[in-house]
Amino acid sequence: MSNQKTSRKSAFGEVKGHIDALATGFKYFVDPHRMTLDYPAEAMELPKNYRGFFRLVDEKCIGCSLCEIVCPSNAIVMMQLPATQPPTPQADAQAPARPVPRVKKRPLVDWGMCIFCYFCVDVCPTEAFERSNIHDLSYFEESEYRPTFDRFLKLPESPSQNSKKVVAKLDEKNGIKYEEGGKE
Amino acid sequence: MMSFLYFIPNSWLPLLESAFYALIFPGFIAILLLAFFIIWFERKAAARVQMRYGPLWVSKRTGGIIQLLADMIRFSFQEFIVPQGADFIPFVFLPGLLLAFSVLPTVFIPIGPDYSRIFPSNYTLLLAVAFTLVIPVYLVVLGWAADNKFSFIGALREAYLLISYEVPFILAITSAFLLYGTLDLVKIVGIQESTLPGIMLNPIAAIVYVIAVIRATGRVPYDIVEADSELVFGPYTEYSSLMFGFVMGVPYIELYSYSLLFSVLFLSGWAPATGIGFLGGLILPGIVTFVKSVIVMCFLVFLRAVYPRYKLDKAVKAGWSWVFYLALIALFLSAVVSRILW
Repeated sequence: MSNQKTSRKSAFGEVKGHIDALATGFKYFVDPHRMTLDYPAEAMELPKNYRGFFRLVDEKCIGCSLCEIVCPSNAIVMMQLPATQPPTPQADAQAPARPVPRVKKRPLVDWGMCIFCYFCVDVCPTEAFERSNIHDLSYFEESEYRPTFDRFLKLPESPSQNSKKVVAKLDEKNGIKYEEGGKE
Repeated sequence: MMSFLYFIPNSWLPLLESAFYALIFPGFIAILLLAFFIIWFERKAAARVQMRYGPLWVSKRTGGIIQLLADMIRFSFQEFIVPQGADFIPFVFLPGLLLAFSVLPTVFIPIGPDYSRIFPSNYTLLLAVAFTLVIPVYLVVLGWAADNKFSFIGALREAYLLISYEVPFILAITSAFLLYGTLDLVKIVGIQESTLPGIMLNPIAAIVYVIAVIRATGRVPYDIVEADSELVFGPYTEYSSLMFGFVMGVPYIELYSYSLLFSVLFLSGWAPATGIGFLGGLILPGIVTFVKSVIVMCFLVFLRAVYPRYKLDKAVKAGWSWVFYLALIALFLSAVVSRILW
């Protein structure tokens, strides 16, 4: 059926190969070297400047739309929200003839499209985005993670918030070993 | 016998014994618990060898042993979907039939020296083997009925492998018959008790039997029929909800009946424990046989951690070449050994 040329072993070599494979498997079954992280109980300690989810500080934002323009994945949309008060009272006092804006523009990030490049955080003239290194979220309902303006005003909660933070270390026996990372 | 059940008429006792055998101990409940255990063990063993944790978070203290129970609860609340082009009657009824026929061989396999009282027959080996061989036919029909290309390819692969591995399987059984000279499994165990376990009398037949069992139950390296990376789940692809639970359990229950037959044929069954009556003749030997077959099952599912999958053509070629030759050698060896022994 198959005309492939494969390296032929003797019958004895084939049997020995099977026995070796089974012996290796049994060795690891008796003495396992686990490499995976016990995730929700332990989590990797992330570097301080890790680019995770960020929130909008509403008071600092001036609605200039620079973040929307710079966003490479079009994840940011400028929303028009009703303005509760005139954004610049001094300007109104100097030129009362100018119409008072009834809306304010605020960015909203769709986390499904965001690539966490942080161009928007860097470009913001008033530093209105507050960054964090949260990168893992979990929800029970699809509606819980739809982007809304209220949700964008506070940082999301990570499932590994209160878990033990560990650091990966190279280990000769195991390959990877996890140690408790105490300091930041 | 069973004097503690004084309030039950004596004529009912055989019936009660049969009911106990069918429903509780090596029957329904034991098989169900064993299926739960063996699926958990398979996942956990593969995880240990592959440097992972395996199922854990369902109950962390026990290592996730009730993971399957959680899965079954989830399955039972799913919708059962019958595909539009599917052949309705075979599609719906074959999983139940498969389940029944995978349990049925255990009826003929004795678990104790007194078992011949419950099922008196001189042909128990023949009956058990005959009922195990029905399953692949249903599997082919099931793959055809689902009207799905993956199911159909899986069914064709099953047919290919069935033809190439049934012959060595039958030859292994024949060499066991030739070795012991009887088809009565109780007598076979008696012969092994008085001489040596069958695995020492004819190791090659045992090896051929194990290979054929791995093929028949779709364990790695012969999981060609339900190859999850090529065909989604082979003949069972279209099943959802509880039916999926059924068809997922079928290979494991099949594995149980094959392992039970293996421990009776080659591991001298209930060997250290012999006696008479309900407790000494059925329960204690039954536990010994059960433990032996569980060890065999654990070995067979452990192979998942070690082997990759065979290619179909190579598996068929192996079935017609070296497995077949080994089966012929086993037949010859049986003839020689039986000539020397008696």
